[in-house]
Amino acid sequence: MVHKVLTGIPVATGIAIGKAFFVNRNHKAHLPRQTVSAAQVPAEVERLHQAFADVGSELTAIREQVPAELKEYGLLIDTHLLMLRDPKLSGAAEEHVRTLGLNAAWALEKAVADQEAVFGAIHDPYIRERMQDVRVVADKVQAKLIGAETDLASMSGRAIIMAHDLTPADTVELQVDKIMGFATVRGGKTSHTGIMARSLGIPALVGVDRLEDVVHDGDLVVLDGLSGKIVVNPSESELEDYNERAAFFEDYTRKIKRHCHLPAETFDGSRVQVMANIELVEEVASVIDNGGEGVGLYRTEYAYLNRTDLPDEEELAEKYIDLAAIMNPRKVVFRTLDLGADKFIAAFGELGEANPAMGLRAIRFCLKNPQLFKTQLRAILRASPFGNVSLMFPMISGVKEVRQAKAWLAQAKAELRREGVEYDPDMPVGIMIELPAAVMIAEYLAHEVDFFSIGTNDLIQYSIGVDRTNHHVSYLYQPLHPATLRSIKLVVDAAHQAGIEVSLCGEVASDPFCVPILLGMGIDSISLTPQAIPGIKRIIRQTNMHDCRKLLRDVLECRTVSRINNLVMDNIFKHFPDEVTFFTSLLENDEAPS
Amino acid sequence: MTEDMQTTDQEQDFASVRVVVRGEHGLHARPAGKLAQRAQSFRSEIYLLAGENRADAKSILDVLTLAAGPGEVVQILARGEDAGEALDSLKTLFERNLED
Repeated sequence: MVHKVLTGIPVATGIAIGKAFFVNRNHKAHLPRQTVSAAQVPAEVERLHQAFADVGSELTAIREQVPAELKEYGLLIDTHLLMLRDPKLSGAAEEHVRTLGLNAAWALEKAVADQEAVFGAIHDPYIRERMQDVRVVADKVQAKLIGAETDLASMSGRAIIMAHDLTPADTVELQVDKIMGFATVRGGKTSHTGIMARSLGIPALVGVDRLEDVVHDGDLVVLDGLSGKIVVNPSESELEDYNERAAFFEDYTRKIKRHCHLPAETFDGSRVQVMANIELVEEVASVIDNGGEGVGLYRTEYAYLNRTDLPDEEELAEKYIDLAAIMNPRKVVFRTLDLGADKFIAAFGELGEANPAMGLRAIRFCLKNPQLFKTQLRAILRASPFGNVSLMFPMISGVKEVRQAKAWLAQAKAELRREGVEYDPDMPVGIMIELPAAVMIAEYLAHEVDFFSIGTNDLIQYSIGVDRTNHHVSYLYQPLHPATLRSIKLVVDAAHQAGIEVSLCGEVASDPFCVPILLGMGIDSISLTPQAIPGIKRIIRQTNMHDCRKLLRDVLECRTVSRINNLVMDNIFKHFPDEVTFFTSLLENDEAPS
Repeated sequence: MTEDMQTTDQEQDFASVRVVVRGEHGLHARPAGKLAQRAQSFRSEIYLLAGENRADAKSILDVLTLAAGPGEVVQILARGEDAGEALDSLKTLFERNLED
């Protein structure tokens, strides 16, 4: 037994202790290829159909457990069931047993291969990819036929699911009550695994290097979704520690969850709006559950990804109206498309940009493609009478860009008016402040719009000039760099000077260590991942503005990041010992790796 | 997937109706599933014709491999005791836009 510690990116918090269970390990190599004699054929055919029937009942059982908020997953299982029951698949396999005398598993493999050839010839990539679903279904049947224990449905007890990658098609058929957590080699912060785990309330890590080499099926592992660690075959004492930590964390979450619907008001009576960042309309349930006072950032990109065409106005409007209506009277801030041309290869052709982060993206891309932009603006306007809707433009670099974007908005409004379609003429319009240029001219920009939203993730990257995913320089990514703090301060002051509100979205807003400083700045609202809301609200409710302003003053006088970080840590250690135990902060020392 | 066309004599026993594929994706997984499911509720033999290709409407795999794109004209053929009913039902499904 090797004792090892692996690290990954935590995408859902919590601690799970249990047996590792790998999915999607290729078991094709063990596929027995035998022929059966004429006398055995009827029994083999029977075995084949029994395996299909068994998988069918398992899937049906799983389907019934899928919670209503995971509607997409439920529909995917329905598709899988239809494929499973399609006589084209089982019939072809039966035919191969009868005429070629193949054993059931081999016969099915041949039927799938034939189907693969047919799908492979289809031009439409979206339909061609559905072959993956046929594969998923056939794999299940094959696992039954060869009695393989590598299939999810065959998982006996509760376990921590590990995989190279989990596609939505994989996660869908998991028996949710048996899963304690997820760990994958691939995937980033926004991957499906994270969304799924958060909705199930279990921990998950993605981007875990060497996972497949180090961990084996059945190993006892600790999955720590707080610190981003996996401890493989922990020692007695480690196990004890983690058990205790897990119990503490559970207590703590219960405690903060109980109070999450109280307003985020400091001891001395200052109110801050705490809103949620979401990507899918389905996430509204968790926004409301966690005490979110609205949606401060709705990322609208999802509807444009993983497809070869563009969504039309109808499709978008339907989604947007749903969201606005469900959240009403709570606010929903729609951010217009924040994608680069690199994501639209199918519809727009490749640009071959040398530096896409500084290229044709977000508002620049939209202004270059007014048809696409106007379609989205019209859809957002159509949703505006159904709730409390605001709109904001990402990646604004200057006054002219804001005016251009607003001109398209005015045109969209004029069109709707002519067509007699209802919209809210006073819908607030804001911009994201995420480029240093926008920070420097914040006082000019403030006169053009109704609100600002500071996007700290990009602002930090662009102002320090560092790509945080590049491990050679990622140590320079410092949320509390004096330049970041001065930038935020400058923007907040400019906004308030002009009498408009300013909100902040970005990871800083969900970092309990950083929040007191943001309060000190006088930010009007923060927007963060829904699951972090109860913890942040608790911090706000237990601070007072006076202390936050004092902390900010002290921090603004520091010349180095490490001094600032120390001050901030001290403050948290003093007032919030629980948070220190459970949360790793974004704050790390800015020392270059030697 | 699609079988060769049967002889025209047999073809004539089929009642048929023409529809246009709506939605932005054409007959992808969900619409194909919905269509197959609806077709399975009838006793008649039901086929879809799109261009040169022909698919068993009761088979999701067959319908998928038809790869009928948005705007494409599809002919629905049905033969059997409830053929008329089946055509009406499937036609309505197409008209309502299979994506919903």
